[in-house]
Amino acid sequence: MSGLSDLRLGFIPLTDCAPLAAAQALGFFEEEGLNVELIREASWATIRDKVAVGLLDGAHMLAPMALAATMSAGAGGQGAILAPLALNQNGSAVTVSIALAEAIRAVDPDALARTPVTAAPLAKVIAERRARGQGPLTFAVVFPYSMHNYLLRYWLAQGGIDPDRDVRLVVTPPPRMVEQMHAGAIDGFCVGAPWNVVAETGGVGRILIAASQFWPGGPDKVLGVTTELATQRPDELRACLRAVMRAAAWADEAENRETLIELLARPDRIGAAPAAIGRALESEIVFHRDAAGLPRREHGLWFLSQMTRWGQIGAEHDLQALVDRVYRPDLYREAALSLGPILEPALAFADAAGPAEARLFDGRAFDPKAARAYAAAFDIHRG
Amino acid sequence: MRVLVIDPDTARAALVAQGLEGVQPLEVRRSAVYDEAEVMAFAPDVVVIAAESPDRDTLDSLQESSQGHPVVMFVDRSEPGLAEQAVRAGVAAYVVDGLAPNRVRSILDVAMSRFALTQQLRGDLAKAKADLESRKTVERAKGLLMKERGLDEDGAYRLLRKLAMDRGKPIGAVAADLLAFAGVLKGDGA
Repeated sequence: MSGLSDLRLGFIPLTDCAPLAAAQALGFFEEEGLNVELIREASWATIRDKVAVGLLDGAHMLAPMALAATMSAGAGGQGAILAPLALNQNGSAVTVSIALAEAIRAVDPDALARTPVTAAPLAKVIAERRARGQGPLTFAVVFPYSMHNYLLRYWLAQGGIDPDRDVRLVVTPPPRMVEQMHAGAIDGFCVGAPWNVVAETGGVGRILIAASQFWPGGPDKVLGVTTELATQRPDELRACLRAVMRAAAWADEAENRETLIELLARPDRIGAAPAAIGRALESEIVFHRDAAGLPRREHGLWFLSQMTRWGQIGAEHDLQALVDRVYRPDLYREAALSLGPILEPALAFADAAGPAEARLFDGRAFDPKAARAYAAAFDIHRG
Repeated sequence: MRVLVIDPDTARAALVAQGLEGVQPLEVRRSAVYDEAEVMAFAPDVVVIAAESPDRDTLDSLQESSQGHPVVMFVDRSEPGLAEQAVRAGVAAYVVDGLAPNRVRSILDVAMSRFALTQQLRGDLAKAKADLESRKTVERAKGLLMKERGLDEDGAYRLLRKLAMDRGKPIGAVAADLLAFAGVLKGDGA
């Protein structure tokens, strides 16, 4: 009736939904001829299911979730999800309760002053607890297929802690992390912004390592869309990507930060204190700069290496074929080209110029062409 | 068979539980949130959970866990369209491996119908409220026209109806516009 095409996009109340929320609030979707309904969902599982059956055309999504959903898609490809755009870099962090932070400091007074903080002192705490006959510490992540799960597991294992044997790992929804820690139900968590800062400013927890220290320029959320949107309505997908790119560029600008924080703090978006939302936006999260929006296949391969490492996927999958199917930098590039000079071409097309190997906080190099060998080379692994 | 209903909407959860009790020899419990100790103690064969519950992710993760209890997601592809129906209805179900699909089907059917019923009742209520609101607005607009244009009640209503037809808008919307403009002319909120 309005002459605009309807799109339904889902999101979870987290700071990195910003490009979608801003594209809507600033009218960028409308300017692209799209009538977008932004729907707040309570769980990642519901996001996945709604995109899988087409109730949503796309959503703010955990990047590994798109890979997992496509891996288990039906024979006709029902349920397969594409990632034509990355929503952000960074934003997640590992936070422990004040009591656990104190216990870490008790075994190593300088432990929390080093950069980056490693899990080695935590391993000592765990060994002492075991010697005293105390139960395992509980750590929470947001979903099995998430950057948060792999970040936490990698970080723990690097310090000599087996995440499946030495601690108890549970899944807790992001908005409940802080209250669960406050109640003593969890001792640590890895979650996206703003919840780490909410825990720290509330005197409930202490941030140990942020994603930007764990893996400078590493991946986080993507915009996951249905295969149908990409194949049956390519013009609308392109229009949607253009609007989100413009919003991501807008969200990176320091001069727009106050407006963005106000927008995100609203109860129908994140519903958290503006001050807590602000901190990650100042120093952590990148939406557009440095080609942050490009869905890089090497990021997808790193996720698959960690799924392999922790036994989530077996040897029968062709990792490169899967990542080629899900990660679509070609769609990003096409939309960016049709957008004109808002994108600096050197940044938008930096995928070829990126480092051949990614380096995480421990200095270990990841070669995307050897994801399985990388997974098998860790001291602690399941696969 | 034991069924656990997790739904932050307690009224709806009660409706689902009530519906299930009539179906089969079932033991039904309901809870607003997922509580691990409670689930372990009750050991349900089926967990029916509202899609809007944030605890879905916790439940979803149990199928990944090697040491957790055997709850797997109900995405039986032998029942075409069922998973989609459930997603549309806003219900997710997790069943213990090995349970006969037809038994799950009947549970899910009850849950979906109760969810739809709740939604319809809430929709009716919202509509009734909106209708009442609209009627009040029309009454106030009529009063304004009677005062400002010296019309009788019937004439005021006919004028409103004509404005609505000319603009292709509901009469309530035209009445609301009229009141808003009257407010601006008087200097309110300008």
